[in-house]
Amino acid sequence: MDAVEKANTARQKRWVKDRKVGEGTYAVVYQGREASTSRKVAIKKIKVGQFKDGLDMSAIREVKYLRELHHQNVIELLDVFSSKTNLNLVLEFLDSDLEMIIQDRSLVFLPADIKAWMAMTLRGLEFCHRNFMLHRDLKPNNLLIASDGQLKIADFGLARDFADPGHKMTCQVITRWYRPPELLFGCRYYSSAVDIWSVGCIFAELMLRTPYLPGESDMDQLKTIFRALGTPTEEDWPGHTKLPDYVPVGQFPRTPLRDLFTAASGDTLNLLSRFLVYEPRRRINARDALNHAYFFALPHPSHPSKLPKPAAQTSRPLEELDGNVDMAGAGPGVKAAAPNKLKRKLTSPDGTDLRPLARRLDFTQHAKHS
Amino acid sequence: MSNRANVGGWLKGKTVRKSGIISNVHTARSSTPQVQSTSSTLFSGGVKDASGRTTEYFSMDDQCPVCKSDRYLNPKLRLLVSSCYHKMCESCIDRLFTLGPAPCPICQKVLRKLAFTPQTFEDLSSKEFNKRREDFFDLHSYNDYLEEVEDITFNLINDVDIPQTEARILAHRKENSALIELNLQREEQYAQALKEQEELERQEKEQRALELRREQEIEREERETAQREIIDRLETSTKSAAKVIAKSRAEAMKRSSARSTTTTVLRSNAQLLRARAAQSTVVPDPPHVPLQDDWYAYEDLYTIRDQYDDMYSDAVRKDREGIMRAGGYQVEEAWDRALRCAVAGLDLAPLSGLNPSPGRTDSAVAFA
Repeated sequence: MDAVEKANTARQKRWVKDRKVGEGTYAVVYQGREASTSRKVAIKKIKVGQFKDGLDMSAIREVKYLRELHHQNVIELLDVFSSKTNLNLVLEFLDSDLEMIIQDRSLVFLPADIKAWMAMTLRGLEFCHRNFMLHRDLKPNNLLIASDGQLKIADFGLARDFADPGHKMTCQVITRWYRPPELLFGCRYYSSAVDIWSVGCIFAELMLRTPYLPGESDMDQLKTIFRALGTPTEEDWPGHTKLPDYVPVGQFPRTPLRDLFTAASGDTLNLLSRFLVYEPRRRINARDALNHAYFFALPHPSHPSKLPKPAAQTSRPLEELDGNVDMAGAGPGVKAAAPNKLKRKLTSPDGTDLRPLARRLDFTQHAKHS
Repeated sequence: MSNRANVGGWLKGKTVRKSGIISNVHTARSSTPQVQSTSSTLFSGGVKDASGRTTEYFSMDDQCPVCKSDRYLNPKLRLLVSSCYHKMCESCIDRLFTLGPAPCPICQKVLRKLAFTPQTFEDLSSKEFNKRREDFFDLHSYNDYLEEVEDITFNLINDVDIPQTEARILAHRKENSALIELNLQREEQYAQALKEQEELERQEKEQRALELRREQEIEREERETAQREIIDRLETSTKSAAKVIAKSRAEAMKRSSARSTTTTVLRSNAQLLRARAAQSTVVPDPPHVPLQDDWYAYEDLYTIRDQYDDMYSDAVRKDREGIMRAGGYQVEEAWDRALRCAVAGLDLAPLSGLNPSPGRTDSAVAFA
C-alpha cells in the first residue's frame, strides 16, 4: 500500500455513512457523521463507472471550487476521499432548502424574513464573484438552510471561473426558470450578471410563493420573461438582436412590477427591477445590491434563528399544520434534503424528477380549495 | 313503518344535496369527475364523517349501470355502492331491495338495502391504504404504491377485474395489517389533537369574551361611583363646583387609560405569538451589514487603469461593441482578476511553523 492509498484510508475512516437520503443523476447522497465527534455530515458518492471519459465534469467542478471557498453562506466541503472506484465528497449537513420553505404553505413570510434570505444569498454570491467564480445554477433548491437558519449556497456542479478574454462559455447553464435572457439567446461571452438575474427570480419567488417566470421550454421562457417585463428594445439592451440564437418572440408591453407585487415597498421593487435589467452590464452587481437602500430600510432583516423553518424541524401549534402532517413526529424518514437531492433538473422537460405524484387519494384537500 | 324510516336514514341525505347538484348542472357541465364539496354545517350526503372532511364522490357523467338513467335525465341521481362494489342508483335500490334481501343485478350476490354505502374513497384510502411517505424507503416505492392504490380504486369504480382486485386488497391487508393499524392510530391521534386544539381555542375565546364583559362592568361601576362621588363632594366640600368636577374627571381618565394600556399589551402579545408561532421574540433583529468581512478594506493597494497592453484581449478590445457587448462580458473583470491574483498575498507574512498567521490566510489559500 503506497502513501497515497494510506492517506486515503485514513481519511475514509474519519467518516461514517449512516443511510441514504437521496439520489441525483450523478450522485447518491448519504447522511453520515464524523467518527470522532459524531458531527452530522452529508456524503455525496459520485458514480464514476458510467462515464467513459473519466470523472463527471460537475464532480470536478464541485471539488475544484468548494475546496477553495470558505464562507458562512457557502456550503463547506469537509473532505474528499475515494472508495473502490467511487469519489466521495463530505459536505456540511443541512436540514432543508429554500424551495421546501417556499412550498410549505403553513409558513408565513414576513418582509424581514425575505430580506434576511436575500442578504445571505447575496453575501454568499458576492463571495463567489469576488473570487472570480460564477455559480451558474442558482435557484431556491440550491440554497440550503442550516439548522441555525443560515442560508448556504450549494451545488457547484456548474460553477466555473470567469472566462479569459476571448474564451467561450456554454450557454446551456442555469435552470430554465432562473436563466437570464442573454443565455436564452445563446450568448457565449457573459459575466457574473447571469447569477444576478437568478437572484432576481428567487427574490420574486420569495414574495409570490410561486416561481416568477416558469417557462415550459427555452422558447417559452423568453416569451414568459417578455410578457412579464416587456420586450426589450435596442435602447434597453443594445446589441441583443445580434446574439447567436436571437429570434424575435413578439412584442409585449412593459407592465409595472407594482401590478404583480402589490404589497411590496418602493425599495423592494426598485431592487427587484435592478436585478431584472435586460442589459447585463447595467444589471446591479452583488456588492452594490448589498448596499441597496432596501436592506437598510426598516424592518431590519430577521435574525437567522427566527426565520421560518419547514414543519419537520420545528414543532408549531396545530393551527398552522395542514391536513397531511404526521403528528407522531418525523417518523422513520426524516425530511432532510441533502445537497443535490431531488432537484429540478437542468433540462428535464419530460419531468423525470422524483417528486411525489401529487395524487394522493385524499380528496379532502380539493374539497377544501373548491 | 317508523322503523323503516330510520333504517333508510342515509337515503334522506339526498334532500340536502338537491340544490347543489342542480346548480352544478347548469353552470359547469364538464365531463371530468368532480368531488362535490359539502359544507361542514350540512349533513354531508350520508357520508358518516362528522368532521366534513370526507365527501361523496360525484361525477357529471354518472350513469346507473342497472337502469341506465344518467345525470342528464335525473339531476338528483345518486349512486351508492354495494358490498360487492357494484354501484346503482337510489331508485333501483329502492325497487330491488325494499322487499328484503335480493340478488345483485350484476353479480347475483345476495344483498340488503342496508349494506349500500355512499361513494367515497374513505374506506380504501384512509382505512386500509393509509401508508405514508415515511413508511417507504425511497420516493420511487412510495410513488409505486400511490399508483397501485389508484389502480385498485379505478378498478373498483369501473368494475374491472373485481375478484382479482379484491384479492389484491386482501393481500395488502394481510401483509400490512400492523402498519395499517399504526397509521390508523396516528390518524386518530392527529384528529384527537386537532379536536383538543379546537377546544383550547374555544375556551380561550370564551375566556376573552368573559374578560371583556367583566371589564365593561367594572368600567360602568366606576363611572357610577365617580358620579356619586362628585355629588357627594359637591354636597360636602366648600370649593367651587367646577373645580371639583374637573378633578374627579381627571382621576377617572387616569384609571381608564391605565386599564386600556394593559389590555392592548395583552392583545398585541397574543397576535405576535400567533404570527411567529412559538418563536422567541427576545432575539433582536440587528441592522443590515452589507459584508461581514474586511475584504474591500484592502482595495486601495492598487488601481485599475483604463487600458493595458494585453495581447490576449486585443481582439476583444477591438470589438468592444461586438459579440461580447450584449452578453455583458467585461474585459476589465479579467484585468481585475489578474491584478488581484498578483498582489493578493503580498502583505502576508510567510507561513512559519505549524501556526498559520492570522488574518488573510483564507484569501491566500484561495489563490494558492
